[in-house]
Amino acid sequence: MTAQPLSILCELTYRCNLQCPYCYNPLDLERYRDELDTRTWIDVLSQVAAMGIVQAHFSGGEPTLRADLPALVKAATENGLYTNLITQGTFLTDRLLDELLEAGLAHVQISIQAPEAHLGDAIARARVHKQKFEALQRVSKRDVALTLNCVLHRENHDSIEDVIALAERYGVRRLELANVQFYGWAYRNRLGLIPARAQVEHAAAIVDQARERLRGAMEIVYVLPDYFGEFPKPCMNGWGTTFLTVTPAGDVLPCPAAAAIRTLKFENVRTQRLDEIWKSSESFEAYRGTSWMPEPCRSCERKELDWGGCRCQAFLIAGDAGATDPACALSPHHDRIAAIVNRDGDGDAGELVPRRFLKR
Amino acid sequence: MNAVRPSFAKGVRFRETAEGAAMLLIPEGVLMLNGSAAATLALVDGQRSIDDIVDALTAAYDVPPEQARAEVTELFERLALRQFLTL
Repeated sequence: MTAQPLSILCELTYRCNLQCPYCYNPLDLERYRDELDTRTWIDVLSQVAAMGIVQAHFSGGEPTLRADLPALVKAATENGLYTNLITQGTFLTDRLLDELLEAGLAHVQISIQAPEAHLGDAIARARVHKQKFEALQRVSKRDVALTLNCVLHRENHDSIEDVIALAERYGVRRLELANVQFYGWAYRNRLGLIPARAQVEHAAAIVDQARERLRGAMEIVYVLPDYFGEFPKPCMNGWGTTFLTVTPAGDVLPCPAAAAIRTLKFENVRTQRLDEIWKSSESFEAYRGTSWMPEPCRSCERKELDWGGCRCQAFLIAGDAGATDPACALSPHHDRIAAIVNRDGDGDAGELVPRRFLKR
Repeated sequence: MNAVRPSFAKGVRFRETAEGAAMLLIPEGVLMLNGSAAATLALVDGQRSIDDIVDALTAAYDVPPEQARAEVTELFERLALRQFLTL
């Protein structure tokens, strides 16, 4: 049975005016400078609608840096797709919002770095806190669904109560408290970003209380980080089952972090049709289903729950994208996760490197 | 009696595909619906009351009214808790 794709993540650009060290974008950002043009993106959106995809997420980088964003949202809407904008908000003027809503935008996710300006700007390595909160205010007054997102890591984990209070103040109905996931820049910076176990446990208790208190008024999404759990996350609910990503340069990935897997070759929308890539490319076929699985996954009763965990994490930490996700307690490489949780590094290994393009 | 008129929240859309599958498009995700949830949510338009929806389901399917009412109420409350439905 061929899997039915439902969602596409359009990473329009990796350019961004912030330098958050927790970014999941790839380290070699400069490889993606040659961005797809408007016509190609519009063709991509029409191809995926014909494949049965129903939802398009626009992200990056900072997608509002693309002047053609409203035109792309419009093209997606005209193809019957539900559209979602994932932004850090610094360029979300009233005028741009007008254009996006006119184009049919269904949902906006605005991410903040911290509830307070001092910490937020320090994390972003830019003075943007004020602009972001003006954008949040603007969107909360508009006729569009809004999610507030804050990526949690060692530097801001203890601000979680203030993030919840802030979401209440702005009338946010959906709040994502997203524990940092270790890909791209975040993986590079893992020893500085990983929260202490006590922070994670404290946050879980705060979230439980807030969920009880705000029942029916706000949905709070908070997932325990897989590094602290027993089982891996069922990444993408299985490789190549419902989801695909197109990078700024047109590479088609089964998962937004998959470019890190150097043992796979990814196809490109400039040279191949998306339905062919989805159905039969080597990269999408590589880890579909369960037949690729090694032990301990192969004989595991959870194999169709966890799907072996995350292939990118297996590659980054075990050196083999076909290995059991090291986040699983049963993985032979699980001690490497424990080493990160315990921050076993040398000297300045916990120092944070800001996300940025390197000079050509 | 239940005169509440449920409607989908901002950013939530009900969708049926040409192949007959039904889904709820929600912020940042897709919920696939089973047959009875699909039949129920297809009737949500902000105009029909819960009573109207129960009546329509009872007329169209071989289901006792009490059971239809219990199932409909349970589904709506669950979706309202997640901010997908306004009651």
